[in-house]
Amino acid sequence: MNMRTTKTRKNAAFVALMAIAVSACGGGGGSIVDSGTTEAPATSDGGSSTEAPSTSAAPLSELPPCDPTALDGADGTVELTFWHGMNGELEKSLVALTDEYNASQTKVKISLENQGGYEQTLDKYLQSGSGSLPDLVQAPEYAVQVLNDTDSNVPVGACIEADAYDTSDFQAKALDQYFTEGVQWAMPFNVSDPVLYYNKKAFEAAGLDPETPPTSLEELRTMSQTIVDSGAAAFGLALDTGADSGGGWFLEQWFAKLGEPFSDNDNGRTAPSTKVLFDNQTGVDLLTELQSLVDDGLAYNVGDNASGQDALLKLADPDKPAAMTIATSAALGTVLSVVAAGTIAGVGVNDIGVGPMPGPGGAPGAIVGGASLWIVDNGDAVKTAASWDFVKFLVSAQTQSTWAAATGYVPVRSTALDLDPVKTTYAEDPRFRVAYDQLGEAADSPASVGAILGPQREIRNITAQAIATILQGAQVDTTLKAAANAANSLLADYLASNG
Amino acid sequence: MALDTTPKGWRSWVRYALLIVMAIIILFPIYTTIVASLKPGNRVLRNPLVPDSFTLDVLGDAWTQGRLGRYLWNSAVVAVIVTAFQLITSIASAYAFSFLRFPLKRFFFAIFMATLLVPFEVTLLINRRTVDSLGWLNTYQGLAVPFLATAFGTFLLRQVFMQIPKDLNEAASMDGLGHWGFMREVAVPLVRPTLGALGLFSFLASWNQYLWPTMITTEDDMNTIQSGLRLLRSSDLDKPNLIMAGTIIAAVPILVVLVVFQRQLVRGLTAGAVKG
Amino acid sequence: MSGATKRRWRDVPLAAVMLGPSLVVLVAFVLYPLGRAVWLGQQRCNVQATKCRSVGWGQYTDVLMSNEFQSAVWVTVKFALITVPVGLALGIGLAVLADKHMRHIGFFRTVFSSTVATSVAVASLMWLFLLQPSVGVLANIGWLNDIFPVIKEPGLLNDKGTALSSVAISSIWANLGFTFIIITAGLQGIPRELQESAFVDGAGGWRRFTNVTLPLLGPTLLFTTVVLTSRAFQAYGEIDLLTNGGPVPQQSTTTVTYLIYGSSSIIKSNEGLKAAVAVLLFVILLGLSALQFRGLGKRVHYGS
Repeated sequence: MNMRTTKTRKNAAFVALMAIAVSACGGGGGSIVDSGTTEAPATSDGGSSTEAPSTSAAPLSELPPCDPTALDGADGTVELTFWHGMNGELEKSLVALTDEYNASQTKVKISLENQGGYEQTLDKYLQSGSGSLPDLVQAPEYAVQVLNDTDSNVPVGACIEADAYDTSDFQAKALDQYFTEGVQWAMPFNVSDPVLYYNKKAFEAAGLDPETPPTSLEELRTMSQTIVDSGAAAFGLALDTGADSGGGWFLEQWFAKLGEPFSDNDNGRTAPSTKVLFDNQTGVDLLTELQSLVDDGLAYNVGDNASGQDALLKLADPDKPAAMTIATSAALGTVLSVVAAGTIAGVGVNDIGVGPMPGPGGAPGAIVGGASLWIVDNGDAVKTAASWDFVKFLVSAQTQSTWAAATGYVPVRSTALDLDPVKTTYAEDPRFRVAYDQLGEAADSPASVGAILGPQREIRNITAQAIATILQGAQVDTTLKAAANAANSLLADYLASNG
Repeated sequence: MALDTTPKGWRSWVRYALLIVMAIIILFPIYTTIVASLKPGNRVLRNPLVPDSFTLDVLGDAWTQGRLGRYLWNSAVVAVIVTAFQLITSIASAYAFSFLRFPLKRFFFAIFMATLLVPFEVTLLINRRTVDSLGWLNTYQGLAVPFLATAFGTFLLRQVFMQIPKDLNEAASMDGLGHWGFMREVAVPLVRPTLGALGLFSFLASWNQYLWPTMITTEDDMNTIQSGLRLLRSSDLDKPNLIMAGTIIAAVPILVVLVVFQRQLVRGLTAGAVKG
Repeated sequence: MSGATKRRWRDVPLAAVMLGPSLVVLVAFVLYPLGRAVWLGQQRCNVQATKCRSVGWGQYTDVLMSNEFQSAVWVTVKFALITVPVGLALGIGLAVLADKHMRHIGFFRTVFSSTVATSVAVASLMWLFLLQPSVGVLANIGWLNDIFPVIKEPGLLNDKGTALSSVAISSIWANLGFTFIIITAGLQGIPRELQESAFVDGAGGWRRFTNVTLPLLGPTLLFTTVVLTSRAFQAYGEIDLLTNGGPVPQQSTTTVTYLIYGSSSIIKSNEGLKAAVAVLLFVILLGLSALQFRGLGKRVHYGS
């Protein structure tokens, strides 16, 4: 499947040297994830009908309890370790908030430990024995199923219930992302979604209205054409195929926008998903359009976004810039500070426009990116209560207001919008509000919330690879089919190992 | 050399020209790194080859923001512990294999040599769990203990010990010098040059560890300079000059070590080549 | 008890004290994990690897046959085939070039050995800043981009044709100081008289080099080859920092080590498969060192 291209080149001169590997070459190997599984992997084409796994939702009573009053009886300061994956400006803001919390009271003291990114945080969490786990961990939105299966957490739902905590003003989308099988597992903290960044000057130069960015795929195409034809920029759209960005979004976000399920069992929210559905006609149509945008010279593919910001940097390209790109709203603060420093010649802070992520039909709505707070079950009621106290601080309206204004993340609750600084920020700079509005407009069904998958990260790598292959000219339907088969193999193995 | 009759002039010009070209190529990445680390953020992308503006702020920021001082200290502590222990354990085991009589000696020696063939990447997965279950994540012992013994050093020193005539050892035990005395008076002085080499080899290998510290460190205080640079890299690529300043700071201490120990370095790196 | 037996056992306590510490470390952190990895390689585990089940030793052959593993081996071999010969040739060239008493030669020797001071992280970050397609140095030199548009689009590290070579260049550069120092030392170990007598025999520069210098450098070159090869097969840091195993979809720089430990690896939360790949890497390296030692007929040992 994905590695096929290298196979033809195997018969080079040093066969003898690599006798071991090459001896296997003639056999036409499958995917590594199928190794050791004697039974044929589940495929998405009809054959193995999905027997619905028992939908026995884990009721809160069977999960580790949360007693918020335990903190009252604690003697001395409770010291907690919080693993996070925030870097750069984001880390600075998180440190400032934590310092504020530590200074505001004496019962709980939080030590922040940066693990270098979401991936590293998750890797280290999974590799660590129970004695080495932190008390609180920030985990990305794709880790819901994996963390559930570790049985190492106190669901925040238990704390919400025990504390009679009011969540009525929370963004439903944000909470729902971490709600599955009847349990609120984690608390959304830093919520982002993909938005369109564009260069207003290029829009003006092309004769387009700089205040009306494209919302549908049709508009994306016509506006890109105008931009390219006028020479205002070399490309309309810069896109990437990174697993954390475009490579995940183009299928997942657009399926959610269309209200179409991405995987079975209601996107994995009534029971763990057993197969993916992205290789259907919807998926084929969407990626065919994306492919033709690139083929027609309207979009430019920067690749797998190794730096995390390759697509954004393409707007700053002094030689062959693009006029638009799709990137996470969380980058807005960074983008503006970089532009303010004069990095892009001739482009000022006010020349950067932000719009909703364009998608099929122009329908609004996006699924939640970013990460959430998970309370680790250390069997210590006091620590659980202390962790809950800090969680409440981080999602309080005031903290969320400060956090959102500093970073570009979306406040997880609407009451934060009435408070400064984000109140002023949103009033003075509506660009920060785009991601918030985009989230709120979403319809509330399992299909529009997005999928939860066990090996979600690996499956994103697979879809990212498929999209990259397609953008390089591969046939859309067969490529997607192969990707879906690989994803289903991963799911089957995951369920067998973690069931 | 009286024998040399070739026209020297143009030959040495060609040689100089080649030397200069190669030097420029090799220094190029270092040069651009230094230039970038001395430029303020808004000038990095313009004229990356020309040092047209100058500031020490970026180096200062990298130092404070990346906590590089702490990382360097950790690397130094671990490297010194590893080096010291590798020297001691190598001397001891090489001595045992050379001068002591005990059953299953060949078997034990075979075990030592077998470990030379196992690449560290293969054992990392399991070692991560071992160190975790010992409670050694985020500790100097976790960073250092897996590397406290080296079959390479044992082998190297044994090669030298084997050159000492057996009678000398017998005579020493007659004189009541005993093994400890013989080791102190005869064996160790004999391998001193090799020890310097081995020590530097161990130090560099430990200092340059990348995968291991990134795997077992979950507290910022315990990052080494290598895993710390990785953190800096994930921080912000939009501030390339900050990352470049970090690499300069990370490279300088080892450069100093190498200048000071240049002779040991050459011997250390070639140690494997001379012994046959 | 006979005298011989007595002598055989007399040193045992001392031997235990002297060998014990090394033995404990080597068994606990090299041999035991190797054994565990071999066992784990026929298992499948949950995400924390706390619950594993055997799926049979066939998992090893399946992994061996899999596209991902073969691709990773192929990438690794290509990486070694670039870095080792080029690194060796450059090292020899530089060493011969600088092996002459002339003015300022000390300066050039220092320059040529300088990269030995860079760790893999330092060297990779320097090269990242050179090669990155937007903010990188090369991408911002106009005339260079006119000649080699790939520097900017898609970027040397993002193009499937150039990514591996670019990582290899960074790796060659980082190892060059080491290679230069060793070969220089080897050259200085060659007795001058041999060179001079060859000169008297009328051998020209090139013949003197191939007939006298190279053969005498044999052990040094073997040692260098072995070290460079093992470094190539264990390359991780440069890939982690420069390409993350990409560019997708070809996974053009996913080496075997990166397949095990890389953050974008498809088997990242599958301890059993990772162990299987690791053990197969061990077997390959074992075969490789056997070949190298036998092929060159000399016993040379290298360190960890």
